[in-house]
Amino acid sequence: MKVIAVVSAKGGVGKTTLAANLASVLATRGRRVIAVDLDPQNALRLHFGVGLDSIDGLSRATLSGDAWQTVMMDGVDGVTVLPYGALIEDDRRRFEAHLEHDPLWVAQMLASLRLDANDIVIIDTPPGSSTYTRSALSAAHFALNVVLADAASYAAIPQMERMIEAYAAPRPDFGGEGYVVNQVDQSRQLSKDVLKVLRQLLGVKLFPGVIHADEAMSESLACDTTLIHYDPLSQAAADLRACGDWLLAAIDQTGMASGNVPRNVA
Amino acid sequence: MSTTSSGNDAPASPSSRLERFADSRLWASRPVTIVLTGFALVALYFVFTVPLAFSEQLTFATCCFICALLFRRLPGRYATIVMIMLSVVASGRYMYWRLTSTTYWEHPLDAAWGLLLVAAELYSTVVLMLGYFQTAWPLKRKPMPLPASRDAWPTVDVFIPTYNEPLSVVKPTIYAALALDYPTDKLSIHVLDDGRRPEFKAFCEEVGVHWTIRTHNRHAKAGNINEALKITNGEYLAIFDCDHIPTRSFLQIGLGWFLRDKLLSMLQTPHHFFSADPFERNLGTFRKVPNEGELFYGLVQDGNDLWNATFFCGSCALLRRSMVEEIGGIAVETVTEDAHTALKLHRLGYTTAYLAIAQAAGLATESLSGHIGQRIRWARGMTQIFRIDNPLTGKGLKIGQRLCYLNAMMHFFYGIPRLVFLTAPLSYLFFGAHVIEAAASTIAIYALPHMMHASITNSRMQRLFRHSFWAEVYESVLASYITAPTLLALINPKLGKFNVTAKGGQIEKNYFDWAISRPYLFLLLLNLVGFVAGLVHIYLNLHVRSEVQTTVLNLAWTGYNMLILGASVAAASERRQIRAVHRVAMKMPVMLKFSTGRTLACETIDYSEGGVGVALPNGIQVPMHERVTVSLFRGDEEYTFPATVGFTAPGRVGLRFSEMTREQEYEFVKSTFARADAWMGWAEGRKQDTPLRGLSHVLLVGVRGIAGLFEHLYEDLRGWMGNRPSDVEKLETKKD
Repeated sequence: MKVIAVVSAKGGVGKTTLAANLASVLATRGRRVIAVDLDPQNALRLHFGVGLDSIDGLSRATLSGDAWQTVMMDGVDGVTVLPYGALIEDDRRRFEAHLEHDPLWVAQMLASLRLDANDIVIIDTPPGSSTYTRSALSAAHFALNVVLADAASYAAIPQMERMIEAYAAPRPDFGGEGYVVNQVDQSRQLSKDVLKVLRQLLGVKLFPGVIHADEAMSESLACDTTLIHYDPLSQAAADLRACGDWLLAAIDQTGMASGNVPRNVA
Repeated sequence: MSTTSSGNDAPASPSSRLERFADSRLWASRPVTIVLTGFALVALYFVFTVPLAFSEQLTFATCCFICALLFRRLPGRYATIVMIMLSVVASGRYMYWRLTSTTYWEHPLDAAWGLLLVAAELYSTVVLMLGYFQTAWPLKRKPMPLPASRDAWPTVDVFIPTYNEPLSVVKPTIYAALALDYPTDKLSIHVLDDGRRPEFKAFCEEVGVHWTIRTHNRHAKAGNINEALKITNGEYLAIFDCDHIPTRSFLQIGLGWFLRDKLLSMLQTPHHFFSADPFERNLGTFRKVPNEGELFYGLVQDGNDLWNATFFCGSCALLRRSMVEEIGGIAVETVTEDAHTALKLHRLGYTTAYLAIAQAAGLATESLSGHIGQRIRWARGMTQIFRIDNPLTGKGLKIGQRLCYLNAMMHFFYGIPRLVFLTAPLSYLFFGAHVIEAAASTIAIYALPHMMHASITNSRMQRLFRHSFWAEVYESVLASYITAPTLLALINPKLGKFNVTAKGGQIEKNYFDWAISRPYLFLLLLNLVGFVAGLVHIYLNLHVRSEVQTTVLNLAWTGYNMLILGASVAAASERRQIRAVHRVAMKMPVMLKFSTGRTLACETIDYSEGGVGVALPNGIQVPMHERVTVSLFRGDEEYTFPATVGFTAPGRVGLRFSEMTREQEYEFVKSTFARADAWMGWAEGRKQDTPLRGLSHVLLVGVRGIAGLFEHLYEDLRGWMGNRPSDVEKLETKKD
């Protein structure tokens, strides 16, 4: 089992959409993929055709003492979805207190799913520093940091680096972090310039391509599906496929690291 | 030196026993070589001269040809060399027989025609032999990488000489020079503007290259470069004609050899053309049949490289400044300053190199008259060098170099022999002159092996660069025009004027260039009358068998000549160019973004300076006049261009760029013309050449040419009768 935490220091970077579409791409590459939603917005499921009225999810299961298996749902593209679930405020605070109390809870629950070594878990998280992100990073083998080609994203990079440093990096089975620039529009000079700076700053950690801004991305959500499904011919879909392959190569390398090979290989 | 170090490019496949034997060390020792060469020469003398009876000669020739056909099936260069040897034997026997047994003429008229013909044949055979020598073993040099540390890279001046070409033609070249992958502090770009035009000055200042001028225009391009040499100081110079757009990798690919070979003075790369030349356009052979220049840049220069005899071709080349200065700059004595410069460098013992990788491309001359003008200049210039600095004599050259230069110059004397071949059978058909004193059957058993061996051997050596029998077409078109200039230059080298070839134009209308095709029409008419005369002669002499035989032989020859002339006529029938800008076929990733914010990942079909053609997946269709943002990629970089849909069909769209900024123009050149792989795979998908396929294609073109001629004749006559003013005007402007 490989756990990928999709994180970002800033909100509104298209993290959930990216997580859903990457899950979809990896599934088409013949891997079993579990998309786990650790964001109280509970939006990840919508990309996979799970209805708006569905309230089940891992938060409710946790609070009622049920196993996570009971809330796993089959989504489009063969991705298995674990929604966050719909909670009233008090319950949400209880669930967060539970995670705060036991940061390794998510890791333990994922282990209890008894997945195959090749299976992939993608965890979507809320933006910024939160107990969810901390739990996700504590379970992750790989952290994928989503940024935009703008100044605010650039400025927020160190914040996320500190979190990864604190919760993920000390573990020997953590393979490393990667960056992907989302919603890029290169007809804007500012995007171009920031992209250049990001490339210099992040070097090989950065996905060599970009994910282009594409209206079809939001349209796909309105249609309860992933972009890969909705408009496979779009540039953004092509970018996502390339990104998925890059991600696959990156996590399969961490697999060797979690074995006997020293982890600095990754 | 350079030649030996890179000569050992043995094929990776396991070598055959023949190859191992030929490669063995035994042959490297000098005494062995001398003894063997002597032995071979004596043997060859006997093979050439031993008299054989009719049946014996027939048997011998048949055996040789079967041998050649068998070797033709083997791959590898040694098999080629065996075929060359067999061809030399066949041609040697023919020429010996021709010179000793067929040159007793009874009448002065026979003698006059006969002498001309035998001289023309002798010339062709000598050029054939020199050609074998020159191209038997192309060096196929590979690029030598530059040192890993960029600090160790030398300084380079890029020269772009221009005189009267419009800025729009020169712009892409300047942008591409700016896009060269090379440290900017080691690169200095100079536009050498002999027109001293203010708009060039403004443009150069805006994009940040040097606008370099002089006060006079002495010695044209060579003088222009020499003046620039005085005020620049880079260790190397790269020279590009103003319309030759370099790829970004040009300097990195070319400079490595200079650091390896300290005697290397000049490295030439091919002149590649992305638009159709007049032959290709008018005959419809663009990218299907190798064009006239491909033999030279594909094979001849690569063959020259083995003998350290690569010529400088004036553009797309790198030169070492110190050595160019040592010979007093680019040569100014002749109109082909480039070849003469190389000759001077060779005389000082310096080496030159050829890299057969297209690293720059430009526009071909747009009309046949322009094309002919350029070839006249080359022919004149090479003849001038032959007269004033003959490579056969003088210091410093090795025998291999002398022979390569000799062939390069002799090549341009093809005018008279070609005209002789095109008219020789007429002497018999008109005047009954017996130019060859032999029976038709005897001629056949000597001449046919000579021609057939030459055909299959050349086809094997040149198949990628010149299809069989196309040389006849190219030469026939030019023969009438280069004969006089070469003769004049031979008599007095001073006769000859530099003419700049007009480029970037557009043929706006289909028309037939009556003025330029006057000589072919005249020759065609002669041949036609001769053909009819021959038929009449046969009818009158049906009972005399030998007369009929000889006439039929001459009729066949005349028929062949007529078709070759038909192809020449077809080449003069200018076809309308549909676009003012030329499209370059190229598959590369492209992104389209529509006004809805949706995107599409596609591949280009082609590009031109004004836009791109894009293949759309799944037969998608885009409405006309839709606004689209086009993204082109170069490595990590993405460049966006606003465009509108100018053509649409299911699965295809043509996008016209809106007004571009300087920055966007630069980015467009960077992501298209300047790509390192822009000109790779140009010849992909061509049909393999065989002598018979080449012959039938050429003859077909000839038939079409003659048919087309009557069509034009009819149309133009109708135009004349109606006396439409526009046509009269057109015809008159054609005269100059």
